[in-house]
Amino acid sequence: MKITIFHYFIRQAMVNIFENRLVHLIGIGTMSIAFLIFYTFILIFVNLNYWTEEQGRSLTMSIYFKGEPDRVLIENIEKELFLFPGVTIKGFVSKDDAMKSLRRKLGDKAGLLDGLKENPLPASLEIILSRDKGGDSLPYQLKTKLEKIDTVDEVQYSQEWIRRFQTVMEAIKIVGMIFGGLLFLAALFIITNTIKLTIYSRKEEIEILKLVGATNRFVKIPFMIEGSIQGFLGGAVALIILFLVYIIVITRIDIRIGFASLDIVFLSPQFILFLLFISVIIGFIGSTISLGRFFRT
Amino acid sequence: MIQLFQVYKNFGSKNPALLDINLTVKKGEFVFITGPSGAGKTTLLKIIFCAEKPTSGNALVDGRNLNRIKDRELALLRRRIGVIFQDFKLLPRRNVFENVALALEIMGFPFYMIRKKVHQTLRYLGLANKEGYYPPQLSGGEQQRVAIARAIVNNPLILLADEPTGNLDPDLTMEIMALLKEIHIKGTTVLVATHSQELLKDTTRRIITLNKGRIV
Ligand SMILES: Nc1ncnc2c1ncn2[C@@H]1O[C@H](COP(=O)(O)OP(=O)(O)OP(=O)(O)O)[C@@H](O)[C@H]1O
Ligand SMILES: [Mg+2]
Repeated sequence: MKITIFHYFIRQAMVNIFENRLVHLIGIGTMSIAFLIFYTFILIFVNLNYWTEEQGRSLTMSIYFKGEPDRVLIENIEKELFLFPGVTIKGFVSKDDAMKSLRRKLGDKAGLLDGLKENPLPASLEIILSRDKGGDSLPYQLKTKLEKIDTVDEVQYSQEWIRRFQTVMEAIKIVGMIFGGLLFLAALFIITNTIKLTIYSRKEEIEILKLVGATNRFVKIPFMIEGSIQGFLGGAVALIILFLVYIIVITRIDIRIGFASLDIVFLSPQFILFLLFISVIIGFIGSTISLGRFFRT
Repeated sequence: MIQLFQVYKNFGSKNPALLDINLTVKKGEFVFITGPSGAGKTTLLKIIFCAEKPTSGNALVDGRNLNRIKDRELALLRRRIGVIFQDFKLLPRRNVFENVALALEIMGFPFYMIRKKVHQTLRYLGLANKEGYYPPQLSGGEQQRVAIARAIVNNPLILLADEPTGNLDPDLTMEIMALLKEIHIKGTTVLVATHSQELLKDTTRRIITLNKGRIV
């Protein structure tokens, strides 16, 4: 008994979509644009957030040397650094290493470097400081200490900058939530109207169904399924487009913030499921609103 | 089974469609409702299956007061009332089979039973070869028979037939009337609205005559 009704509902929803395919196509199209804008925003936000958190927990300090330092000096510095809690040595980068890595990064354009008579890049020792273990004042403490050494040219770290960035993140988050809320309202509006059109295209049919004894629920369920499917498709199309853009564009370029390279990750599968779930819910709510309006009059 | 007390129906014009209708139809009765065009026959039937509410007065059907019936109860009541609409009210985008199956689908019958009952009913009405046709592809008489099939497919308690033979030739008319009799014998209460004197010529059944909204 259940199965027949369920089939009936699904079939009716499909027939509705097929018969109003133009309306649906336009609805799904506009809705996926709204979703896409929001998802892009989320993708950027998630990545920035992940990145600032990573960076906030630890920071990279670069100790730049004058000329090419000898091994003994570096070992001495390393020994001294080990005395501080929360310091990890990432490694020494010689002038040559720095040049090689720059060439690698430039790729095709590495030829630009051929004209240089000597290597202008400094050698450096890269260390990572853990904020949890070392405390907030460690970077500055180390900087002053290390810069007193003759062969050390300069000590750089990104802490200040990230702090400022975290407040920016908070602002972005709030703007994003308002913006996202508006876009979801827009999606809801689109679905409500699409379903309204299909309901009106079946006005007579609904009347007849009711005259032969269909319950309101029986009449409504196909439209609810229809709205949910539309929401799902809108969300799915947006995610697919976002993923394609991610693959094609983002993985090919190297995005840098300050001097840290930013590895862009795509949304996690759980988060994708969550977004799809939300779009189905929006579809469901949208159709429920339309049905509510229709059945009240 | 059906009781109307001082039912008035006014659609807003100066002449009401129904005036002071008092009527009782017992379970298992076969009743003709007749009268000239515009007399209020369709309106009377509409009151009975609650497509229209009386402007004043009460209508009781199967023990339920239609002025106070809830949506869900009304749906359940309508499943027990088969209606052959004067204008058929078939779904143009569904074929003959689907139109008739509708009455069973809303009740949640399993598909094999729906198929069996629909086939049976369509064969009974001589529509077996039209199953896949859509209403606009059918003649008036065929559409009328589809409407009849949908009304009787779930063995209703009450059958309301509004001009059920209006589009049929004399032979088919005889057949349909025989069919209604058969349904009646099986226990269904039948109300037939018609202005055809031909149908009433030698009937011994109860005849209610309406004129300008009144029972005469
Ligand atoms: N929905 C409506 N709105 C306004 N007036 C209506 C409506 N339905 C019926 N009427 C009026 O009520 C009166 C009775 O109509 P009804 O359809 O009941 O007549 P009838 O006896 O069935 O006629 P026929 O034999 O032509 O089918 C008519 O004057 C008609 O104009
Ligand atoms: Mg009529």
